[in-house]
Amino acid sequence: MKSLAAREKLEQDVLKGLRRPGKWYLLGLACCALLFLGALGLWGYQLSRGLGVTGLMHPVGWGVYITNFVFWVGIAHSGTLISAVLFLFRARFRSSFNRAAEAMTIFALMVAGLFPLIHLGRVWIFYYLFPYPSQRTLWPNFRSPLVWDVFAISTYMIVSLVFFYLGTLPDLAIARRRLSGIRARIYSVLSLGWTGSHGQWKQYGRLYLFLAAFATPLVASVHSIVSWDFAVSILPGWHTTIFAPYFVAGAILSGTAMVIILVVPLRRALQLQPYISIDHFEAIAKILLLTSLIVSYAYLVEYGLAFYGHNQFEMELFRYRALGHYRALFWLMIVCNSLVPLTLFIRRLRRNLAYLFAVSLLVTLGMWVERFVLIVTSLAHDFDPYAWGTYTPSWVEIGITCGSFGLFFMLFLIFVKTVPVLSMSELKERL
Amino acid sequence: MERRDFLQLLGLFSGAAMLPGCSENRSAGKLVSYLVPPDEGVLPGAALYLPSTCGECPAGCGLTVRVSEGRAVKLEGRAGHPVNDGGLCMRGQAALWRLYHPERLRNPLRRDGAGQFQPLSWDEALTLVVEELEQARQEGRANLLLSGRTTGTLTELQQHFCRQLGVEPLPQFEIFSHAALRKAYGILFGQAELPHYRIDQADLLLSIGADLLETFVSPVGYARQFSRAIKQDGFQWLHAEPHYSLTGANATERLVLNPGSEAALLSFLLLRIESSGQEGRLPRQLLRALPAVSAGQAARLTGLAEERLERLAKQLLLAERPLLIAGGIATGQPNGLQTALLAGLLQQQLGMIGSRIEFARAENYAAVGSLHDLQRLAERLEQDRVGVLLVCAADPLARAPAALDLPGKFKRAGLRVGLCDLFDDSARQFDLLLPLSHPLESWGDAVPRKGVLSLLKPALDPLHDSRSAGEVWLELLRRSAKPAESASYQEYLFDVWHRRLDERQLQQFAEQGYLSLPVAAVPLRLQAERAAGQLAGAETAVAAPWSLVLAPSIRSFDGRSGSLPLLSELPDPLSTVSYGRWLAMAPAAAQALQLEDRDLVRVAAGDWSADLPVRLQPGLAASVLMIQGDLLPEASLPIDPRSGELVRVLDGVRLEKLGSAAQLAILAGSSSQHGRGLIPDPAHHAEIPPEQSRFYRAHPHKEYRWAMTVDLELCIGCAACAAACYVENNVPVVGRRDHLRGREMSWLRIEPFYDQAGRAGFLPMLCQHCHNAPCEPVCPVYAAYHNPEGLNVQVYQRCVGTRYCSNNCPYKVRRFNWWQPQWQAPLEQMRNPDLAARDRGVMEKCTFCVQRIRRARDRARDEERPIRDGEVVTACGQSCPTGAIRFGNLLDEQSAVYRLARSERAYRVFAELGTEPSVYYLRKG
Repeated sequence: MKSLAAREKLEQDVLKGLRRPGKWYLLGLACCALLFLGALGLWGYQLSRGLGVTGLMHPVGWGVYITNFVFWVGIAHSGTLISAVLFLFRARFRSSFNRAAEAMTIFALMVAGLFPLIHLGRVWIFYYLFPYPSQRTLWPNFRSPLVWDVFAISTYMIVSLVFFYLGTLPDLAIARRRLSGIRARIYSVLSLGWTGSHGQWKQYGRLYLFLAAFATPLVASVHSIVSWDFAVSILPGWHTTIFAPYFVAGAILSGTAMVIILVVPLRRALQLQPYISIDHFEAIAKILLLTSLIVSYAYLVEYGLAFYGHNQFEMELFRYRALGHYRALFWLMIVCNSLVPLTLFIRRLRRNLAYLFAVSLLVTLGMWVERFVLIVTSLAHDFDPYAWGTYTPSWVEIGITCGSFGLFFMLFLIFVKTVPVLSMSELKERL
Repeated sequence: MERRDFLQLLGLFSGAAMLPGCSENRSAGKLVSYLVPPDEGVLPGAALYLPSTCGECPAGCGLTVRVSEGRAVKLEGRAGHPVNDGGLCMRGQAALWRLYHPERLRNPLRRDGAGQFQPLSWDEALTLVVEELEQARQEGRANLLLSGRTTGTLTELQQHFCRQLGVEPLPQFEIFSHAALRKAYGILFGQAELPHYRIDQADLLLSIGADLLETFVSPVGYARQFSRAIKQDGFQWLHAEPHYSLTGANATERLVLNPGSEAALLSFLLLRIESSGQEGRLPRQLLRALPAVSAGQAARLTGLAEERLERLAKQLLLAERPLLIAGGIATGQPNGLQTALLAGLLQQQLGMIGSRIEFARAENYAAVGSLHDLQRLAERLEQDRVGVLLVCAADPLARAPAALDLPGKFKRAGLRVGLCDLFDDSARQFDLLLPLSHPLESWGDAVPRKGVLSLLKPALDPLHDSRSAGEVWLELLRRSAKPAESASYQEYLFDVWHRRLDERQLQQFAEQGYLSLPVAAVPLRLQAERAAGQLAGAETAVAAPWSLVLAPSIRSFDGRSGSLPLLSELPDPLSTVSYGRWLAMAPAAAQALQLEDRDLVRVAAGDWSADLPVRLQPGLAASVLMIQGDLLPEASLPIDPRSGELVRVLDGVRLEKLGSAAQLAILAGSSSQHGRGLIPDPAHHAEIPPEQSRFYRAHPHKEYRWAMTVDLELCIGCAACAAACYVENNVPVVGRRDHLRGREMSWLRIEPFYDQAGRAGFLPMLCQHCHNAPCEPVCPVYAAYHNPEGLNVQVYQRCVGTRYCSNNCPYKVRRFNWWQPQWQAPLEQMRNPDLAARDRGVMEKCTFCVQRIRRARDRARDEERPIRDGEVVTACGQSCPTGAIRFGNLLDEQSAVYRLARSERAYRVFAELGTEPSVYYLRKG
């Protein structure tokens, strides 16, 4: 009986989130939507005038847009990690975060996918990048990492979407049962006739396990391929074999930080404290700490490689990164990604949600800056000293970047009001 | 329908059908002319190559004008021409921009009472001039003609015109008048002329101040001569100057003098050579008049080491065929005339006069006056004694020193008539503006120096309602009822030519566009007495810091080419500044004042001052500041009272740090190559990188593999190649805003790299057409691909604009179209029709002039043979005054590039990256 009451309470607590939105919610949504619309307007301006409205220049051909792309793909990473990998490892705390993390993955990917388009000189023929039989009788260049990106990102998007949808099926059925009116009908369609029969659960379990196993290699592959955008080139600072693991670790670091940023206010706003405990946060903070250590190690290795390799281009580039025009950003990145997370070794701080939230904000900032420093410094200071130059983002780029956050949070806010934010069916197992 | 209606309608329609036939529109006639063989240059795709002469500066280089579909689209140096023999400088390349300049005067204009310019017809304008001339004559006021330097038939016609109409011709106006030199030669030898210097005949060249490669008399010609001279073993070139010029950068050794000490150096050399007893030829009275300068004094005055001075004297003595050229900044100083005199004496002493210094082939500067003449004009204007003032193809208002206050005094003339091409600030000072045709639109001839006759033949119909100066003078003669002799200037010229040249010469002249005529020997005798009188009393002054040198600019000559957008787009070769003006300063001096690039300083001399951003110039003397003279029109420069030459070195200049910084488009990211061996140290032989394993299959080449060689020993960094590339390949000129953001579009650039001692090396950098091109595999859409002839091709239509290719290019030679390229009308007519236009969002870069390869291939296919070596000449290689750039087929073992690419001097930039470029550089030494 106790269990039944608890289940009833769980369903009520979680579905409370789907109630009519309050004014703060609407205000937040409006702000995010405005940011997004502003960015759309700026993109339109950029399309009509040309990429000259950005700060991009010669030699820095990639700037904030590609930074954003890598950043958002990185954010998208923890979704798979938390839902698939932790599922395979049977980490119980996973169920507190997996729904939010999966949603975050999809939204971050949606945002990320926009940036390669925004940065194109002629976006109106972006489909030249897809392999399809055309009258041009020309396949894309399969040697180009940019084509690999197309495959990697679209695969990841599809798998994440299926995984997310599959996971929500039982919860959608609960929502169908507990809600009424038009919403009940929508959830009834969305839940695909889920009845919760033994046979369905059996099939569901097998499929979920299979998808988790299928998605796990993607954690490694997607960001590895994104990193190859850089590693395959010949630029000093880009052309290095450490990039794949380094980027994956960085992606998980930023993704975990974003999960914390999303779930801490969510837990408070929807009063989910009983279901998302401090212990769970502590567990995820440990992941953050671990990946931060890996990332710091990668920073060290990069410098080690440059130092021991004794290649004049590499050595000069790494000197420039730390002491050149962008030195402030470099040291900001070191502080945010390597030093601040070290404080999480202290248990008390690890369990302090406000502190954890602040650390996560810094890590997110640090990871964005890391991508910026990595992309821009290598381009700004490569082989030919005559061609060296410095890049400063324009207000259009900054506006579109803000808009990307607007879009991301807008999507997440909509998600909060339309899909149960916790996996009720999994939490019931825990009861 | 009634029968009656039918007939009415029939009548109406047939009448209407006949109406267009009544049109007087003659242009419609062209539509049917294709029934007969089409006119030259009208056939689409078929280009016409016409001879002409460049009018952008007084040098008078020979041109080949490429005319396509009735429009001049490219200028090239005319091979074999006695002045330039194939090369053309960046100003010559940019002359097309003057032809199609959006601000060209389109019809005669007259200032009305309210000060506004109103168009009027040529008829009205010329009638007005004739009336005003007559009226001024009656009032007893002088009618004056001030013209820029003219040569050949136009000079004669101008004189005839002046005689007939009672117009007084003033000595012609050039700010680079070389007046001190001419005066010195007049004093010494009775020949107030500018001789022709033969660098190619010398084994030791000592140039003092003369900017041979920038603006001095005939820069392309000198560069050509230099390229021949340097091929001789043991050729040495020493250049002495107080500042830092492109000429100095290219000399074997640059001797940095204290400003004003040129005369001391020359006195020392004269005395030392005299005392050696080997070459003593100077008369006694002259020797007595020479300032006695010992080695120690000379060292103190010049700032050179005593040992170096002694060695210099020895070098001059040991050289078999020494040549001394003084001029430019050396004679543009308060003691400039003395320097010129001493230089003339040294030239005489070492036996250069008559052999390597030819007065028989004197550069045609006799009609050019000096600033004294302009001073006299200013005085006459002030006394209200001038009626009509005709100013033709000269811009004294912008060029004359501010102290003369010419713009103010100009207003005193009765009627100011300007014959000019651009509607600029100076043009707005006139009452009546008569638009001049561009040299490419006019008939004419030029005699750049004695013995050279060069043809001007219209390459296209005048774009606007303009006329050439000759046409205007003839028309004015006719309207004044004076004998005009010919109906048109063309006929006038034909008459002159027929009178002077025989049938064979005429034919040769018409075909090759130039003629070398025999010259009469000029007897020269040193007039020792006169010279001694002039030498006495002249002192050697040494400037006090700071000294400000107003160096002549390779980009704008004396400023006249400054209004051509292309020349602002091309960076200054030494400082790499494109837009804006700057003050060059030695790095050590800047460090002492804690100044960096772009920091603003206030420079002041007398009551004049200017706020300028600093640009560090390695190799510049610490007490010397330098600015390009044309960029400082407001500076009140003194005039040398003895020679009438503009003094271009200011002493006792004050410098004040302002503490703020300005925007300045500096294109170089670094002045140093950071030991990266882009230009290898001649002391070290480059290591040959090991053969690298490759992941992808090597590209096969069947018949051709195009390659380029660039000889750095010959490259003088003059950027003529870059200018030629702009014009040939329709490279857009993007302007200051984009240059400040680092978005220049040049496909080819000159990279100057300075070593610790401030010596410059120049590296022309263009797409290297790598065999293992890093740009190719990263392009997702095959826009960058390797063609079967070894070209790294960019397919604009495929390009989606990821810019990955540019990121991955170690040479950073790819250019992205950040905006839609703009061509302000009528500049779009200048575009090469053989090339695709690029849209915004597309990457572009050097194509090795693929359109020229295609043209050669078509020709070869028509004649059923392979393309011959040397048949494809890229635009950059064509324009190069020294022939440093060669192009050809690397698979052809007989080709020049095959041989040069295997030379001991050959290397490839960043060979260690394994990109296998198709551009081979040949290092110095």
